[in-house]
Parts: sequence; C-alpha cells; structure tokens
Amino acid sequence: MSGFIGALTDAWSELRHHKLRVLLSLIGIAVSVAALSAVVALGEYQRQIQAEQSDRFGGRLATVAVSASPTDGAPMDWIAFDQRVDRVSERFAFSHRTRVVDGLSAQVQTPQQVQQVPVRLIDPAHPVIHRSPLLEGRWFRDGDEELLAAPVVITESMWDVFGRPVVGTFTITLQGELQGTYPVIGVTPRQYVGDEEKLVTMLFDGYAAQVDSFPPDAYVLWEMWVPEDRVAEIGPILAMDLRAGLEGVDLSVSRTDWGSRPDAQSAALVFELVTGAIAGLVLLLGGLGLVNIQLVAMRQRIREIGVRRSFGATGGRIFTSVLLESVVATAVAGIVGIMLAIAIMRAPFVLQMFQGLQDVPPFPLRAAVIGLVAAVAIGALAGFIPAVVAVRAKVIDALRF
Amino acid sequence: MELVTLVLLEGVTKQVLLPDDSRLDILRGVDLDVAAGDHVSIVGRSGSGKSTLLNILGMLDAPSTGSVSFRGEPVGRMGPAKLDRLRGRNVGFVFQQFNLLSGRSALENVAMPLSYASGRAYWTRNRVAAEMLERVGLSHRIESPPEQLSGGEQQRVAIARALVRRPTLILADEPTGALDVETGAAVMTLLDEIASEADAALVTITHDVHVAARARRHYRLEGGILSPVQLELAFRETALGSVSATPAGMAGTDDSGAPDTDADT
Repeated sequence: MSGFIGALTDAWSELRHHKLRVLLSLIGIAVSVAALSAVVALGEYQRQIQAEQSDRFGGRLATVAVSASPTDGAPMDWIAFDQRVDRVSERFAFSHRTRVVDGLSAQVQTPQQVQQVPVRLIDPAHPVIHRSPLLEGRWFRDGDEELLAAPVVITESMWDVFGRPVVGTFTITLQGELQGTYPVIGVTPRQYVGDEEKLVTMLFDGYAAQVDSFPPDAYVLWEMWVPEDRVAEIGPILAMDLRAGLEGVDLSVSRTDWGSRPDAQSAALVFELVTGAIAGLVLLLGGLGLVNIQLVAMRQRIREIGVRRSFGATGGRIFTSVLLESVVATAVAGIVGIMLAIAIMRAPFVLQMFQGLQDVPPFPLRAAVIGLVAAVAIGALAGFIPAVVAVRAKVIDALRF
Repeated sequence: MELVTLVLLEGVTKQVLLPDDSRLDILRGVDLDVAAGDHVSIVGRSGSGKSTLLNILGMLDAPSTGSVSFRGEPVGRMGPAKLDRLRGRNVGFVFQQFNLLSGRSALENVAMPLSYASGRAYWTRNRVAAEMLERVGLSHRIESPPEQLSGGEQQRVAIARALVRRPTLILADEPTGALDVETGAAVMTLLDEIASEADAALVTITHDVHVAARARRHYRLEGGILSPVQLELAFRETALGSVSATPAGMAGTDDSGAPDTDADT
C-alpha cells in the first residue's frame, strides 16, 4: 500500500522537479485529448439534434403508434375503437398516451376573411412525446378539457395573420360545427424558414365535448410512450390484445421513433469514428514525443536512480515510479484537455452551430471518460520504455559516473 | 568480545572481463567479518578494489566466487527485491561525491530512503528526516537544495540520509575525499558520533590514514588482497616514512611503499 502511494508520490515530485520539460511535452497530449473529447461530445450533440428533429415527427424513444383502417372501405367507428384502445391500454399503464386526429378542418374568422384551416386534435401527452417546442404561451395540461372555452394552440404563421397579439388575452372565432370562441394559449414556431402552415390544435376531449362524431375523412392515430427496454416485448402483446375479437378492421402497431431506424445512429457513429481516429493519431504523436523526452531524461537520471537503488528502492518501485510519472503527467494533461473540450463545447459559436437544440445535452460523461482513458493509456505506453531502461541500469555503473 | 557478526565475507573474489577478453582480478580471496557496532577502516590506493569491496559489502554487487552473508544469511540466495529491501533497511551509504538528488531540498533528500520503507516509517518520514537534519546541525537548511549548500553541508546531509533509517551498517566511501582537511575532520567526527549513538557498524574506505585512524580495526587493500595493519605503522609510513624512509619491518604489509595521501579517483 505505502509502496504504491510512495511510487505515486515519487512520480509527482519528479514531475514537479522537471516542470518545464514535462509541461512542453504535455501540450500536445492535452490538445489531442481535448480534440478527442470534443469530437465525441460533438457527435453526441449531433445525435441529440437528430433525435430532437426526429422526435417531432415520430415521437421520442420509444413511441409505439397504433393505427386502424376498415378492410371494406366503410366508415370507421373511431369512438368505439378508441374505447377498445383505452381498455387494452389499461393493463400496460402507459405514462404518456395520446390520440392524434388529423383530417379535420374549421372555418376561422381572420381580420381579413373567413378561412378554412386544418384542425388537429391531441391529448396533453402529445407535445411531451414529440418534444414539440413553443414560441409563446404553454401547451395543454390535464384539466384544460374541462374549461368552458376549449383552449387552442396555433402555428406562428397563423399568429402572424392576427398580427401577433399577446398570447393569453387573445381568442379566435371558429364557424361551422365547431362554432365558438377559443382562447389561444400557445403558439408553435415555424419548423423551417417560409413555413406557412396554418393549423389549429385543440384537445381531443375539447372537441368531443362539442361534436359527437368525426367527418368521414378524419383519421385517428394512437401513440404510446413506452420504456425503451420494454418496447420489444410490449409491442406484440399490445397488437395481439387489440386484435382479439376484432373484425373488419386492419390494425397496425409500429414503432415510429428514431431508435427503430438504425441508419441515423450509424451515420453518427461513422462521423465519430473518423474524427476520433484522427484525434487518436494526434495523441499517438504526442505520446511519441513524450517517450523521446523521457528517454533522454532517463540518461541524465541514471545516477539518481542508482542512488535510490542503493537506499533500498526495488526494481519494481523504480519501474512503477517512472511509469507513473508518464501516466500521472498525461492524466493531468488529459484533465486539462477535457476541461478545454468542455469550454469549447460551451462556447457561443459552437452552440450557434446547434441552434434549435432544445435540451443542450450536458457534456457527455462518455466523452470525458474516453478522453481520460486515452490519456492514461498513452501515458502508460510512453512510460513503459523509459521504465524498462531505468530498471535495466546497473546500480554500480550508475553510481560510478 | 561479544560482538555479533553482521556481515561476513568468506573467500570473496571478483573478476571482470575486459574489452580485450582478458580477465582482471579485482579482489582475490577477501575474508572480512564486520560485527554490529564495529568500526573498520580500509585503506588502499585507487584501483586497489576498495569500491568493489564496498559494493559487495553493501550488497550492491555480487562476488564472482566466495560467499557473503548478512546476519548469517547467505546473500547470494536472496531474490533481488528482498535484497533491495534488506539493503534499504540495514545499510546506509555515504559517498565521496555526496550523490544528493539535485534540485530536491535537504529534507526531501533525507526523507528519500524512508520513502522505501513501509508503514509508520513511511508516513512519518518528513518528521524523522527533519529530526535527523537537526542532529547533523542543519535544521536551518532544511529547504535548501544541494546546489545551495557547501561541500561540508552536503556531506552532512548525506550522513543524515545514510542514518535516517537507523541502519546497522554504514558504508562510507571516501567520505572526506571532496572536502578540505578541517571540514573533513568535522564531518568524520559527526559520522563517528552518530554511528556510535545508533550502535551501527561503520566501514570507512579511505586513502587518508588520519581518517582511517578513527576506526577500531584497520585493514589495507592491496592488489585485491585484504590484510590487517597496525595503525602506528601506517602512521609512520605517512608521517615519518616519507621523511626518514625507515623500514618498519613489523608486518609484511609495509613494503608496498609510497604514501598515498593525495586525492585519487
């Protein structure tokens, strides 16, 4: 125990004694570790942004979508099927579940004219599953369906039509079946530059309170957010339960999140591997520089090692000390490099590159661990040859010159 | 004498192979017995094999033939790590060129042997080292690196370092070789005192009879052969011999001639 601590202490005091030499040889290591960690972290950011974009369409990891269509082309009884989904879902106790109804429309009174706009119905879980961002206001929450005036969320383009009034005090007026005044509680941002989609989103239950049936071209989808590790087991059981005793309906249960599409992941992996390999090469070069310096330094230290041996240092102790010298040095360089990488990843210009990232991921632990492991490994590699040289030195010869 | 044998050399020889494939005999059948608390001096000219003998005594080098035993245990059969630990625990070296670690403070230098100890000795090394430095009168130079110390001070640091692990055997190789006469005398007095305080055996190798005179038993190494000498004879050789050239004719070791009080290496 005190042997190892002793070796570590020796290594540290040797490093302090040769500060400048060590410092110069370590700059390369620190920079390459920073590059390596930054690359891994960038890959992580990249993946996060892909995931977030994909989540907007397909839901997050792991989203299971249930859709149904009648086999004979007759109109579908959505309400009955919704009850069936409800019943079956009960045993799974999904934390987040939403219905998505598309294909509805309503007449909206805008300042200029009465305009036909599509309407989408969802449950409060929908924006959670899809990470749908908001420009203004808030999303639906439980209890909103009980409000006398059902709240709605509109798109930014539609908000513009009304002249961007303050959200919370502003209502829209619909005509037709959905006739009434609806307070606007939130605005969703444009998905891309020039996005002119005008859409009114309201709660499924808010709609159902007013209208008893869906028009023939309405289309309903059910989405469940399932723990990722259980999705493979839940999917088939859910499908089986839903199909039990069902006739005349074609049912499909499928995963829609990005986790079910491995191509995106493998692209991120390739990016990480290529850039990581380059950083690895830089690290190796830094390591070679360190070997070189340590070997030259060892020649000067042979006498000192002889003195230490004569005072009871075993060969093993000398070997460990010299090896640890490189390892401790590169580990320190590695930590500096990782801190550098963290600083880079937090720099405004990097964050600008990833605009629209909703959850900026914390600096990935994986990147820090990979950086540190690489630094320690290169230290051990670079320290090995000088350590062998140090042990091979004969004590008597060492003391003689 | 009820002295217990510490190191025993029996029929020790040492040969080295020279680059031209001829063999050089450095030691030819050396027998030596150093007891605990003993004080032995070995005088010899440079090239007589003094340092080789000291290295063998300190278990840094192995003899070509013959045996070395430490406290009755044959050294030749010990593994290298065991030998290193045995040396660390029992032997303290004082070198002619001091061999302090440059750039490290006096305290770090003295604490160094303790860093190869284990347990308590390891953890209290800085305190023990400071006490030792105080003992050699250098408590005010604790933080000074060797570069800032005089020769005498450096050798005192080296003595503190040799004694910090309370060794049973102190091997001093020309301890005054790099010092002037007065400083050398002061350093030797200190070494003698500390060695007898610690009850350690002291083996001094020197070419200086005045240094040798401090020992209890005296040997001369000549052409690889170790033989006991009478001190008065040695004195006469150096002090009077060069003046009167009187052949003493007492022991068979006197005809070797020239007094070698000049520094060698």
